Amino acid sequence: MNRPEPRPVSASPVDRCSAVLEAAAAVILGKEHELRLALTCLLARGHLLIEDLPGVGKTTLAHLLARLLGLEYARIQFTSDLLPADVIGVSVYDRASESFRFHSGPVFSQLVLADEINRATPKAQSALLEAMEERQVTVEGETRALPEPFFVIATQNPLHQIGTFPLPESQLDRFLMRIELGYPAARQEKRLLAGEDRRALVARQAPVLAPAELAALQELVVAVHAAPAVIDYVHAILAFTRASGRFAYGLSPRAGLGLLRAAKAWALLGGRDYVLPEDVQAVLPACCAHRLVGSGEGAVLDASRVDAEILAHVPVP
Amino acid sequence: MTIERAHWPEPVPDRLQQLWLTLVVIAGAVPLLSWLDWRIAVLVVALFALRLVALRWHGAQPGRWLLVLLTLAAVANCLYVYGNLSGRQGGAALFLSMLALKLLELRARRDLQLVAILLGFLVVVQFLFDQSLGLALYLALVIGGMLALLADLNGAAGGGRLRPALTTTTRLALQALPLTLVLFLLFPRLSAPLWDLGLDAEQARTGFSDTMEPGAVSELVVNGELAFRVRFYATPPPPEQRYWRGLVLWQTDGRRWTVGEPPQGGPVSLALAAAADRLDYEVVLEPTDRRWLFALDLPVAAEGAAFAPDHLLRARRAVESALRYRVRSALDYRTSPPSAALRDYALRLPAATITPRMRALVASWRGEGADDQAVVRRALAHFNREAFHYTLLPPPLGPNPVDAFLFETRRGFCEHYASSFATLMRLAGIPSRVVLGYLGSEPNAIGGYHMVWQSDAHAWVEVLLPGRGWVRVDPTAAVDPSRIDNQSASRLLGAGNPVRFELTQGAWLAQLARGARQFADSIDAAWQDWVLDFSAEDQLGLLQRLGLGRLGEYGLAVLMVATFSLTLGAVLLGLVRAPRVSDPLVSRHARFCRRLARIGLAPHPGEGPQDHGRRVIAARPDLAAPVSRFLALYLPARFGPAPDPRAVVRLDALLRGFRPRRRR
Repeated sequence: MNRPEPRPVSASPVDRCSAVLEAAAAVILGKEHELRLALTCLLARGHLLIEDLPGVGKTTLAHLLARLLGLEYARIQFTSDLLPADVIGVSVYDRASESFRFHSGPVFSQLVLADEINRATPKAQSALLEAMEERQVTVEGETRALPEPFFVIATQNPLHQIGTFPLPESQLDRFLMRIELGYPAARQEKRLLAGEDRRALVARQAPVLAPAELAALQELVVAVHAAPAVIDYVHAILAFTRASGRFAYGLSPRAGLGLLRAAKAWALLGGRDYVLPEDVQAVLPACCAHRLVGSGEGAVLDASRVDAEILAHVPVP
Repeated sequence: MTIERAHWPEPVPDRLQQLWLTLVVIAGAVPLLSWLDWRIAVLVVALFALRLVALRWHGAQPGRWLLVLLTLAAVANCLYVYGNLSGRQGGAALFLSMLALKLLELRARRDLQLVAILLGFLVVVQFLFDQSLGLALYLALVIGGMLALLADLNGAAGGGRLRPALTTTTRLALQALPLTLVLFLLFPRLSAPLWDLGLDAEQARTGFSDTMEPGAVSELVVNGELAFRVRFYATPPPPEQRYWRGLVLWQTDGRRWTVGEPPQGGPVSLALAAAADRLDYEVVLEPTDRRWLFALDLPVAAEGAAFAPDHLLRARRAVESALRYRVRSALDYRTSPPSAALRDYALRLPAATITPRMRALVASWRGEGADDQAVVRRALAHFNREAFHYTLLPPPLGPNPVDAFLFETRRGFCEHYASSFATLMRLAGIPSRVVLGYLGSEPNAIGGYHMVWQSDAHAWVEVLLPGRGWVRVDPTAAVDPSRIDNQSASRLLGAGNPVRFELTQGAWLAQLARGARQFADSIDAAWQDWVLDFSAEDQLGLLQRLGLGRLGEYGLAVLMVATFSLTLGAVLLGLVRAPRVSDPLVSRHARFCRRLARIGLAPHPGEGPQDHGRRVIAARPDLAAPVSRFLALYLPARFGPAPDPRAVVRLDALLRGFRPRRRR
């Protein structure tokens, strides 16, 4: 893979993040908030699910992030005949050494794009999703660690489209965030039409962060301070989803941990070393909507409803 | 290819909540069921059973049309049994039937809440039937169950289900306690009920009827219920003097005695012995549904009761709930001679039942020209000497009970003796009448009062003696003690019933049982004294002691409403304000928000402090500097890793000058 040299190191890691976002915004037009959420998700060591119609730039976003962060990138196109081995890899008999040799699959990459994940059968889905949670793969009794960092961006089509296998809620829970891209606004879309081919544009991007810098940033996220008042606030949100009767099931403790970690990453991107309630609020729709099912409804929540359903009812510290 | 969407279970109301509600309603309905007609009870129990079955197997849930039919059937049932839907029983029956039906159509959470509220009504209705402490405690438990359900429905915070629900219930109950006390003490009491409920007297109460025939009293004698309680203000009279008069019977047909229609003579005067003989006491009578009251032989003054002819006491209306009255009695008295008409009335005999041997017996007493007093003495001696037995299980007496009792069976109890004695006296030309009442009382050492039981019911005779007026004679007491059959009472009670321990005096078990009974009754009496009988006068007395005696009923109402609103207001204020203002930073931020609220820029629900500040600055750029300074101090101090210890002081300084005004 042809990898350009990283740009010169600038002063603070937060400035580097801003640089990443700036560079990304130049390629994906008018989606600053979504880009910021995606980067937050990555800094919080979470996996990202992008749900939207085909052709709105899901794949471009994934590829772009890989380029900007200098990550090894692999793409798996999920289809209904995809097998777990296509994801994880297979052992092939090597005549020369007279033994089986493991040919690692695309999952052994730092950034894996699982395109249209809901087109594959649950069996293939679960092969990836297990790797996501464990950050390791066990093949034929041998456990192999996945690279570090390891980041999965999965895209899926809206559930009502024909030929989809919806992810079960237990697997949805493994994604830290779910975002939607949506159509660009009129001005940005015209710029997009007038501009260069996105693919070429992505290929030209030089990495902004070195892998070591990304790891350092991820460490910084963990160190962001969450005051007791913020912990109380996160807990109040969890308790509200469980007790209010508005949702079929409340948020899991894993969701709570993810929410706090994402809020910390969001705070770091905002240049702060402590979490504000607003940081929690900013990441809450992306972190929680896909884990909640409105009571009496059959489908997960729309992110836009989270504000009305939760935030307005939980007192802010 | 599509896969069906996962089927989500109905979130609310869940089955546990429905089951819990059903069980609470059933528990709440049990006492009421026992007071209603069995036909109502059968229908309601069937509906409950159907409900429980439908909870287990959804197929059993009746459809809409069946529910309509059931409703019509329930209304018809109530109308058929009680003839109306408005009386106490009819109304309660209809209400309970409808409640049971409502249980069968719980669809939404709203239905559950409605039933929970109706359950409160169900609890209140039962106090129309019974006001005992036991019922009150039981129904308090039922209310607790209901509160737990409501707490669960409204998502009591915390882990698990049972614990938070119970915690919330306890907290609610404790919060309600002071309000209850305020209402109880200050709610204006009415000396008379506001409305006449038209309580139907169909409900059979234990107690006397106004006739006496063989067997009527013996039912009472084995009845274990309390008749009334007496609190003597001084030393009580000796037990053999404790004759409680209730009713005077004048007329007999040879078998039964009734009140009859005695001609009313002029005023009857009493000649009383020395004043030291007067006895003051207070009686709390258990409900009888009758008007007659009981007083020691012989009442001379009464408070809370009216006098009737024959020195009897009458309540102003039927005693449907416990009645308290005060009496002064004189044990030694002499009545003035009655009118001639009354005298004649007291000599009337059922001619058909008088047999020659009765005449012969009376003639033998009169024989030697004895006066009336001597005749009475000889008659009593006759009962004592001959083989008369006292038993609660007398042999059947045939068509002429007096004759059969006197000469053949000679076994009976007070009513046999009183009836025969009065008849014989009339035959001898001595005017006589039968008195119904109670004899004796059991002191309650714990409560400091006396208890009179239904089993103390008694009948005796009053004869008119020249120069002395009406004189009490108790022929039953003349029976030789060795001929009193103690075993018959316990036999009459039947196997399995508690044996009456009076019969084995002295045994430690008897003493224990007696102590337990006295203890239980003293609790009942305290409940009666302090809760049920907390009257308008008691309330006034309490207020006077508090220095609020000048308040009239309106003042009282105002005081109550004021106290109530203040308490509620305090609670609401506590709810509206942030629960913990102990953090000084939080209180500074709250002050900051209040100042901004004055210019219409209070934080929106769910708006964080930073977003709020940004919105304020966007709306009022002139406030940008102070708001930014405040937030720059507050946010890191509150949420940051190393809070500035002087932040509070600085915030205070900032807030002192921060008084935003509306723009013109």
